[in-house]
Amino acid sequence: MSLSNGQIGVFICHCGGNISDVIDIQSVKQEIELDNISVFDCEYLCSNIGQDLIRKSIDKHSLDKIVIGACTPAKHEKLFRKCIEDVGLNASMLEIANLREQCSWVHPDNLAATNKSISLLIGKIKRVQLALPLTPIQVSINPNAMVIGGGIAGINSALNLANNGIHTYLIEKDVTIGGNTAKIGKIFSPEKLAEECAMCSLSPLMNEIGTHPNITLLTHSEVENVSGSAGDFKVNIRKKPRYVKDNCMACGRCSEVCPVYVENDFNCGVKDKKAISMRFAQSVPQVYSIDSDHCIELTGGECGICRNVCKVDAIDFEQRDENIELDVGAIIVATGFDEYDASKKPQYGYGVFENVVTQMDLARILGVNGPTLGKLARPSDNSVPKNIVMIQCVGSRDEDTSGNRYCSRYCCMAALKHASLIAKKYPDTNVTICYIDIRAFGLYENYYRAVQDMGISFVRGRPAEVVQKANHSLVVKVEDTLTQELKEMPADMVVLSSAMEASSGTKQIANILNVTLNEDGFVKEKHSKLKPVDTSRDGIFVCGTAQSPKDVTDTIAQSGLAAARTSVFISDNEIRLDPQIAQIDHSLCNNCDECFKCPFGGISKDVSGKVSINPLVCNGCGYCAKLCSKSAISIAGYKEEQIIAEIDGVIEKGDVLVFLSRGIPYATADNIGNSVAQYPANVKIVQVPTTTIATKAMIEHAFKHGSRAVLMVEEPTDNPIGAFIYPLAFENFKDLKNELGETGAKLHFKKAYIPHYRGLAEIFTSLAQMEDGK
Amino acid sequence: MKQIENIPDRGILLFKSCLVSVEYPGIESSTTYAFDKLDVDYLVSDEQSCCTGLGYYFDLFDQMSTTAVAARNFAVAKKNGYTNITTMCSTCYAINKETCALLNSNEEVRSNVNTVFENAELDDLTYKQNSLDEVDNFYHVVEILLSKTQHIGKLNTIDFSDVHVATHHACHYYKVQYDDMIGNPNHPLLIDTIAKSCGADVVEWYEDKTLTCGAGFSQRHINRKMSLEVTHAKLESLKNAGVELVIHMCPNCQIQYDRYQPVIEKEFGTKYDLVHMNIAQFVALALGADPVKVCGFQTHSVPLDEFLDRIGISV
Amino acid sequence: MTDMMADTLSEYDTPICDTLAETVKKSLRTSDTIGIERCLQCGACTASCPAAKFTDYNPRKIIKRVMENDISVIEDESIWNCFYCYTCHLRCPRNNSPTQVVQVLRQMAINKGIGLDKLEVLFEYGDAFAELGVSKIPDLYVGQMEDDFDMRWHEFKNNLDSVRSELGLGTVGVKDTGRGEIRAILAGIGFFDRQEKLKQMAEAELNTSDEKGGITNETN
Repeated sequence: MSLSNGQIGVFICHCGGNISDVIDIQSVKQEIELDNISVFDCEYLCSNIGQDLIRKSIDKHSLDKIVIGACTPAKHEKLFRKCIEDVGLNASMLEIANLREQCSWVHPDNLAATNKSISLLIGKIKRVQLALPLTPIQVSINPNAMVIGGGIAGINSALNLANNGIHTYLIEKDVTIGGNTAKIGKIFSPEKLAEECAMCSLSPLMNEIGTHPNITLLTHSEVENVSGSAGDFKVNIRKKPRYVKDNCMACGRCSEVCPVYVENDFNCGVKDKKAISMRFAQSVPQVYSIDSDHCIELTGGECGICRNVCKVDAIDFEQRDENIELDVGAIIVATGFDEYDASKKPQYGYGVFENVVTQMDLARILGVNGPTLGKLARPSDNSVPKNIVMIQCVGSRDEDTSGNRYCSRYCCMAALKHASLIAKKYPDTNVTICYIDIRAFGLYENYYRAVQDMGISFVRGRPAEVVQKANHSLVVKVEDTLTQELKEMPADMVVLSSAMEASSGTKQIANILNVTLNEDGFVKEKHSKLKPVDTSRDGIFVCGTAQSPKDVTDTIAQSGLAAARTSVFISDNEIRLDPQIAQIDHSLCNNCDECFKCPFGGISKDVSGKVSINPLVCNGCGYCAKLCSKSAISIAGYKEEQIIAEIDGVIEKGDVLVFLSRGIPYATADNIGNSVAQYPANVKIVQVPTTTIATKAMIEHAFKHGSRAVLMVEEPTDNPIGAFIYPLAFENFKDLKNELGETGAKLHFKKAYIPHYRGLAEIFTSLAQMEDGK
Repeated sequence: MKQIENIPDRGILLFKSCLVSVEYPGIESSTTYAFDKLDVDYLVSDEQSCCTGLGYYFDLFDQMSTTAVAARNFAVAKKNGYTNITTMCSTCYAINKETCALLNSNEEVRSNVNTVFENAELDDLTYKQNSLDEVDNFYHVVEILLSKTQHIGKLNTIDFSDVHVATHHACHYYKVQYDDMIGNPNHPLLIDTIAKSCGADVVEWYEDKTLTCGAGFSQRHINRKMSLEVTHAKLESLKNAGVELVIHMCPNCQIQYDRYQPVIEKEFGTKYDLVHMNIAQFVALALGADPVKVCGFQTHSVPLDEFLDRIGISV
Repeated sequence: MTDMMADTLSEYDTPICDTLAETVKKSLRTSDTIGIERCLQCGACTASCPAAKFTDYNPRKIIKRVMENDISVIEDESIWNCFYCYTCHLRCPRNNSPTQVVQVLRQMAINKGIGLDKLEVLFEYGDAFAELGVSKIPDLYVGQMEDDFDMRWHEFKNNLDSVRSELGLGTVGVKDTGRGEIRAILAGIGFFDRQEKLKQMAEAELNTSDEKGGITNETN
């Protein structure tokens, strides 16, 4: 290596064995130590001791450039940048080699992992030498917050924020807040053996939302678009018409006279609701709304009876969609869950046999404001069931593509709660719960014991099928695995404990916000222990069942934390944004205006007529850089010579070079490590903003060094960046393939999806093992 | 999951089945009859051998032998340019599909098989990785027919409206590679959809719908009692569902239902008013085929004459 | 058991490994993603199993014994009850597959000379396949069918060729050139070697039981 300018410090983290158990740190140190390169190692570099070591070493050895070998930069990059800044270095004088997720966790062979880590560090050493100081971008933080979703999580976080003096917009797509908690009737509690009335706890909170001076409630409203960046988000909301004005007194005359009955999805689809109605008596706001799909007047007929009886003239058939623009500094995602569609398991007969219901359906049946006014009755004939069989884990703990791998965490307790309610009110009804494991964690064990004492039966086994016999009676076929008996249990009603799934709204919002989801479709937290409510994007937080399956108790705890994190974020007043965004060299710009095609609207002309990049909007995706025919635009920190320097250090004969876009593809590769999957150690990853910045010179350099193949992995098309970048990146790939001529056959292109990390590992493996890289 | 829109109707190698050939040849003639009427481009090749499925599931054939024989058949398909291998038997389907996946994913297996070809101077049989795709190149006849339901419905000449039908989908079609069938493998509806398009009154769900026919390869012979008990349970469920016609999709199931129904009636002292046919025979019949000269119903053990007579077809 | 008892007659179907679970996982007869160690013992397999309904076969217990490395499971007569209907494979929430596991166990049993009585009748199948390229139901089984089925079937079987030709179908079997190919392929891949070993094992088994029979007579 010819390394001349300045003194470089390399810090290698053991990560408490996560790295050092696989990688031989001492031989790595020996291999890279040089006159102008000092190498240090530390048990935990992210600890105070570790950061102290970095700071003191910079001072003591006059280090001016730093390379860190540790976990993925997604974890602690900010921490380390701040750390070197504390002692006077520019934050850009740092490069991080991913020695954990992309080395020690994916390559069990010690020698191969050690050799790879050496090459990764050398790549970063070469690259950091070309690092240029970047000026941080400062933004002042808008003091308003927005909470998306008006269930118990959103309600609780909005109230916490508002009580902390922060003006909060609460956005709910339904006509009332309350969410799933409003449906469940009773809540189980860990410390009490009694079940509490859900509405009695929820209703006061809902009312407080409706009247709080610091809360602006927008119901029947959906977030359509979010632009800007942490501290300064611009939000477009579409408020849908309810055809009833806010002066509605909720007297109910309209509903009494309305001639149209519609399916009530609040009550398991029973047709007991009018086309003009309130969701439930305690709805907030206390304003009726009209179902535009079924209202005679709104579907082109003539009716208008409700308008005639309304004493305050609140009915307004002329209402239209309203577009509302908000400016907020921070956002909390509280978009909740959907119940798993149990008809995906046809062997249990949901949707086919009337008397097969889900726990949520049963909650409604047992609810005093439910379809039977709280009377336990089976749907086919309204009789009280004598035998009820509950089936646990329907769609949970299930590797089948129609199920979910995770445990839904609440269903054991929900089944116990319903069994207890039934046992108390209907002592002649037998309840049997078919389970695999009863998960009554922590203090809930008390509740489990109490339910056992009530005489509820438990059968350990996952039923094969539910069969319907004459008179709508049912039979559940199961092996009692404890007695090894095959049982055919008669039942008048079967209750399926359906999984809790990330709601469709969660997926939709995650896409709009560009926050990362985990492989199960829930919003992924930044760090499961340290930052459990931070998302992949600064200024956006998550809580409740949008983050993972959980019960009401845990949801409330977590939504309080989300509010606290949001308050802290907003009270900072100012935020520094990532400076690794597009930068323009005006001496090369010919004002062709191509770059104005930026899909995010981040480029415009300034007052003097020069092309100007808005640092608050730019996400550094490289779209403009690719369009610029004069190469006047580049992404700060990702100049061609910097990438080539890294390739120079990293690539050895027979290696596969992978360009990973820094969003989803990079996170997907990290996920391979998180999931203890593997791929060969000759796969070397170089992170790029997006693969559009990959050039012929970079790829030729890799092949010159003996690379067997080069792979570019791009953002998927259903993500806000990928939607625009993917087509351009694919074009770039095809151009490069052509330009490379024969060697072009060794250039490959894929897109990544977080849940499909195994697929990415397989692609890595097949390229690494392929004879000729084609 | 496979999508109906992606089911091909060109380049179909209609894969001959041992049990169809010697037990229910009418399934093959019905299939070609239906394919001709429905403008399906297909080939039947006398170079193609059996899939070894019976031997494999009799525990006699080892995986490598089965794989080598399959690879030879894949070469037959490719040589003739008919690469959408489409089977009448569900075990042929599963064996071919799984073997293709194995040849594509396992380099050692592939090279072993190719070495055998080379040593036998049969180089033209060499299997190249991914030269067939285990998803896109393998079908069961029922899938081709399903993709033609509208066409079948239009051409149908028979009033099936008061025929109570239930279906039995073959285990090795929808359970072996369950992620790769059309619909939900816990409630297969392919045959039901086709029968409905001809106006039949189909009982979509009945107890034991997904229970095996009871053949169980060697079970039929070495555990005859258990095998017949399962078939008996299935026939009882069909009887309780008020069914008259059972339509299936695999010759092995058909042996179990059609040939053993009289045996079960005798041994269990019961009686079934059930007749059986393969979905290809059903479709051919709907499209106007002769029940003897095309459908080959004379080869069945449970006579269909009365049933055919009732729906207005004279034998 | 005999001296000719081999550890494995097919390294691909029954690779020699330290544990049963490893052999099962490595066998080409099981899926790469088979979740054998992840088994929850939930019984969905057994509750769905037609053989479990009528016999003492219990796929859940079979898996447990494999997990516990209980080699005696291959001597358990009940493994020969599986229908290979794959319902357990479909219903397992852990991507496990008792039916695939049992296929490996039966092959392991065969390696040890267990169950050869069931295999013996099939030997003609292999020879016929090599000859004609079609599967042939073994004579013993055909005999069973002859006893079971009525005249309709006998008549049809006797006239198979003419029925086929009336239906417009040709003769059964692969055309001549193909047959040589199949024999060569089966020979090259080792099918006949394996079958020959099995035949010898079956014969030796027969002799041993004769001997035993002799001894018993003497003691009597």
